[in-house]
Amino acid sequence: MAEQGQKTPQETTHPSYPQKNDSKGVWFVAEHKEGKLEKSSLILAGEALSVATKLGEETAVILIGNQVKDLAEQFGSYGIDKAFVIEDKLLEKYTAELYIAALEQAVKSNKPSVILFATTPVGNDLAPRLAARLKVGLVARYTEIEVDKEKNLTVRRPIHGGKAQATVAPLRKPLIGTIDPQLLTMQKASVAKKTQVVELKTKLDPSNTKTRFLDYLKADPCAVCVSEAEIVVGVGKGLASADNLKAIEELARILGASIGGSRRATDEHWIVDERRIGLTGKTIAPRLYLICGISGAFHHTLSIKGSQLMVAINTDKSAPIAKLADLVIVGDMHKVIPELTKQLREVMKPTT
Amino acid sequence: MIKIIVCVKQVPDPTVVKFNIETGKLDNVNYLIDPVDEVAVSEAIRVRDRDGGEVTVISLGPPHAEEALRTALKMGANEAIHLFDEAFDNLDSYSTSVIIAKQIAKLEYDIVLCGRESADENNGFMGAAMAEWLDLPLVTAVTRLDVFSDTKTARVHRRLRGGDREILECSLPAVFTVETVLRKPVYAPLKTILAGLKKEVKKVDAKSLGVDARSIEPAVAMLSISQPKPRLKKTATIDSKLSAHERMKLLMSGGVQQKGSKTIEKPPIDAAKEIIQFLINNGIITK
Repeated sequence: MAEQGQKTPQETTHPSYPQKNDSKGVWFVAEHKEGKLEKSSLILAGEALSVATKLGEETAVILIGNQVKDLAEQFGSYGIDKAFVIEDKLLEKYTAELYIAALEQAVKSNKPSVILFATTPVGNDLAPRLAARLKVGLVARYTEIEVDKEKNLTVRRPIHGGKAQATVAPLRKPLIGTIDPQLLTMQKASVAKKTQVVELKTKLDPSNTKTRFLDYLKADPCAVCVSEAEIVVGVGKGLASADNLKAIEELARILGASIGGSRRATDEHWIVDERRIGLTGKTIAPRLYLICGISGAFHHTLSIKGSQLMVAINTDKSAPIAKLADLVIVGDMHKVIPELTKQLREVMKPTT
Repeated sequence: MIKIIVCVKQVPDPTVVKFNIETGKLDNVNYLIDPVDEVAVSEAIRVRDRDGGEVTVISLGPPHAEEALRTALKMGANEAIHLFDEAFDNLDSYSTSVIIAKQIAKLEYDIVLCGRESADENNGFMGAAMAEWLDLPLVTAVTRLDVFSDTKTARVHRRLRGGDREILECSLPAVFTVETVLRKPVYAPLKTILAGLKKEVKKVDAKSLGVDARSIEPAVAMLSISQPKPRLKKTATIDSKLSAHERMKLLMSGGVQQKGSKTIEKPPIDAAKEIIQFLINNGIITK
């Protein structure tokens, strides 16, 4: 393997890219919903700019959809040089096959060297398809792209579920990578640019589409499995009795949260076994984990590390959970939670 | 009648495998069938048992990959094919996918199932590659699979964010990559296990498959494997109050992510205000 590794991307050429050095530009694919850019796309812009700076190449955003041209200017303050806009009525809604057809044509006529996606449901769907279509490899969930003096790329990515890290070298161009936007911070460029809009004409044939969209199922955020929930409220020993769950349910309802708990909470039948979080239960990775009366034993904390933000309410300020949480409220959850629910009701409406 | 092919992989048990800094290798490597492939096999068996047909499992890998196939046979798979050749050693996922697709192309099938992402490489390329090389429709991240054998179509649920799903329909043959939530692995009855033990794993080498593995250019080269090093959001100076050991540990693991950890001891009313402010500052809720 080591011998293969010393091959540089320039040494191996690919039929689709007959000339060695004409692949230029760091691209990323932007996502949007109801005429607004997803935050992950703006975050990805910063990463594309940083990779492009290391390579000394231009940056470009790919905007696919119906009437999305106007979104391009927002990337100016993130230092993005170009926006390739692919507009078509058929692209109004995301369909993998048409999006890939559009992307393929854009890539083949412009030959970028790097194409980045965020690890969203759309990014995770598109990236491997595009990699296969272009007959290049995929570097999914990378954490870092490094560029040496000869402009060769090496990429680091976690393997074995994060237990180890692999350093890999893409041998073909373009490099197709996905990165978790949670690893990055949104950063505007030091020098804003005027993003040049380039409209691409693509030929799409909807009669070739093999999959048909039937329906969209919106989940009830309170009923959804804790492993998929965006907000989770966890209860433990501190709940003390099943009667106290009412207050938690009220809070969960207003926050749009799914209720989970420690082993203690399921053993006492306060919550069902399916909602257990920990070594013998589910692993969670929500945007917010609100931890109520859980001390934070190892077998619980092991499964909550993917949480973006953690708020703990606990009577004991030296509980292990206090070391993990971003915000620790020292106090009685039975007093804090009703108050929190009351104030939440007054002040705000939850975002979805 | 429905013919299903499941691509399976033998992986180190993801829950116990560890990286050893001293040896630079993985420790606690207990091989087993990839948990997500086990789900795929279970689903294939469920569909077959209802509609009739066959389940064939395929794996490419070193001799121990046969164990994953044997597990699938004991679960009730009809046939197992082990693509095994010295020339297949140390292939990247791109080359692996090309060879597996060559084998699948020789078989009859209605559905090809893959795990959405393997437990060892976590790359998620295989399903898309199968669909591309075999020119089949593809749905990724499938959480529910309804097969209609009479019309040769399938209706599937695809996992989106926050528990949302989209329902898609496609005609068969097709490729689906499955999520672990699709199904709990089946526990086969003793009769099936015993029957599975008697079945043979068919060995296919490069020559009989008619591929020259060395002619397939790899797409991604593996350079090294190392200790996980998280990417830093912000560079933080390491707390000098920590013990030397703790500080070393943090340095080795790539430093600490700056945590705005804050402890508040206030009456409930003010504590609730603090939480709400925190949620607003972090964009969880808006006024």
